[in-house]
Amino acid sequence: MKMQKTILVIEDDKSLRAAVVDILRLKNFLPLEAADGKAGVEIALEKHPDLILLDLILPEVDGMTVLKKIREDAWGANVPVIVLTNLSATNEQLVEDMVTHKPINYLIKSDWKLHDVVKNIEKILGGVKKL
Amino acid sequence: MKQKIAISFCAIIIFSCFSYAIAEVALNKNEFVLNNAVIATAVNNGDWIPIPYQAIAPLGGLVLENPALFDVISEPTDKLVDTSSAGLIVKVAPGEILPISVKLSNFGGGSRVDVLIKYSIFSSGGIEIYSTSETVAVETTANFVKTIQVPFGTAPGIYSAKTSIVYQGQLVPATTQFSFTVERKIFGIFQSDFFLYGSMTILAGVLMFSLGHAFVKRRRLARFAPSDYSSIPRDQRIFYEILSDTIMGMRERVGDDAVKIASDIPGLEIDQETGRILALKDKPSKIIATLVSEYENLLGKKVSFSFRMDNIPKTNVTN
Repeated sequence: MKMQKTILVIEDDKSLRAAVVDILRLKNFLPLEAADGKAGVEIALEKHPDLILLDLILPEVDGMTVLKKIREDAWGANVPVIVLTNLSATNEQLVEDMVTHKPINYLIKSDWKLHDVVKNIEKILGGVKKL
Repeated sequence: MKQKIAISFCAIIIFSCFSYAIAEVALNKNEFVLNNAVIATAVNNGDWIPIPYQAIAPLGGLVLENPALFDVISEPTDKLVDTSSAGLIVKVAPGEILPISVKLSNFGGGSRVDVLIKYSIFSSGGIEIYSTSETVAVETTANFVKTIQVPFGTAPGIYSAKTSIVYQGQLVPATTQFSFTVERKIFGIFQSDFFLYGSMTILAGVLMFSLGHAFVKRRRLARFAPSDYSSIPRDQRIFYEILSDTIMGMRERVGDDAVKIASDIPGLEIDQETGRILALKDKPSKIIATLVSEYENLLGKKVSFSFRMDNIPKTNVTN
C-alpha cells in the first residue's frame, strides 16, 4: 500500500489554510495544519512532515524564524520547505535569510493559483525519499 | 611545179599560224574556265575535275567578264534573344522575333550584284513552317541583322533557320543554317527557366526559412534557457542563479524590459542579449532586493523564486 505523504500547512489565514488542506486531501496527501509560527515549529519537529508550506507573516513567531528553528534540527535541516507569502523579497536581510535557509520555492501568493502550488508540491515530492 | 609547191607550203604555214593563233586563244579561255570549274568542283566534291566552258552556259558571258562568287554566313545574334554560352543555340517563344545576323561576302569581282536572300524555318522533321525573302545589293560584303517572327502557333521543339542566296551567275550553292529552340513562356520566362528558377527560389526559400527558424529558435532558447554558473564559486553561485532565474522569469512575463531594468541595477553586470549575469560588484543580497523592488515599482509585478535543485538539501531529495 502506498504511504500518504504528509504536508504541514503553516498559515494564519483560516480560509486560505482550509482551501489548501482541501486540495491536498483531494490529491491524496495527508495535511497537517498550524495557525501560527509557534504551533508550526512544534508540529514540524514532532510529526516530521514530508514537506512544509510556510507563510512568512504569522502570529507568535514569524515565518523566517520558524524556518530557522526547523533548519536547526537534524531532521529539519533537509526537509523541503515552500514559502508562500505576500511579502516581496525587497529586504536585504530577507534575501540573506532565504539564501541561508534555502526554501525550495519562494512563492508570491498573488502570482500563484493553489492548484499550481499543489502541482509544485507533487513535483518536489516525486523526487523526495521518505526518511 | 616549184611555184605550186611554194604556194602550198606558204598556205600550210599560214594555216598553221592561223590554227596556232586560234588554239592559243582557245587555250587561254580554257584556263580561265578551268579556274572557275576547279572552284565549283572543289567545293562540291573535293575532286579536281574541270568543267567545260559550255557547261556553264548561258552564264558563260557573265563569268568571262567579271564573275561574282558569294558566300553567306548567318548566325543567331544575342542582341534580342536568349543564347547559350556557346552562342549557337537560341531559344525563342512562339510569336517572338528571331534575329539573324547575316554576312554576305563576294569573293568574286568587285561589281555591285543584286542578291536574293531566302530565309526559312524548318521543323526537326524537315517541314518548312516559315519562309520569306528579300533582295540586297552587295558589292563586296554586307552585314545586317534580319528579324523574322516565329509563327504564333509554332509547337515547342528544335527548329533550324536556313538562309540561302541566289544571284545572277551563281555557280556555288550558298546556304547556311543554325538550330534554335522554340519554347513557351510562363509569366515572361521560358518554361524550362521558369521551373528551374522556380525550383531554385523555392529551395532557397525553404533553406532561408529553415535557417531563420533555427536561428530564432536558438536565440529564443538562449534567451530563456537557464544559464550555467558552475564556474562561479559555490558561495556566490546561488546569488547568480537567483538573479539569472529572476531576470529570465520576468523576461517571459514582460519581455526585454526585464533585462533593461536589471542592467540599470547598481553593481549588477549582465549580458544585454541573453540576460546572463556577468559580475556582481556589490553585496549580492542587496542587488537581489533592489532588483525585486524595481520590478515591483516599475512593472507592478511581484517576484517568486525557485532554488535550483542542486542548492536544496540532498540527503532526502533525489535529482
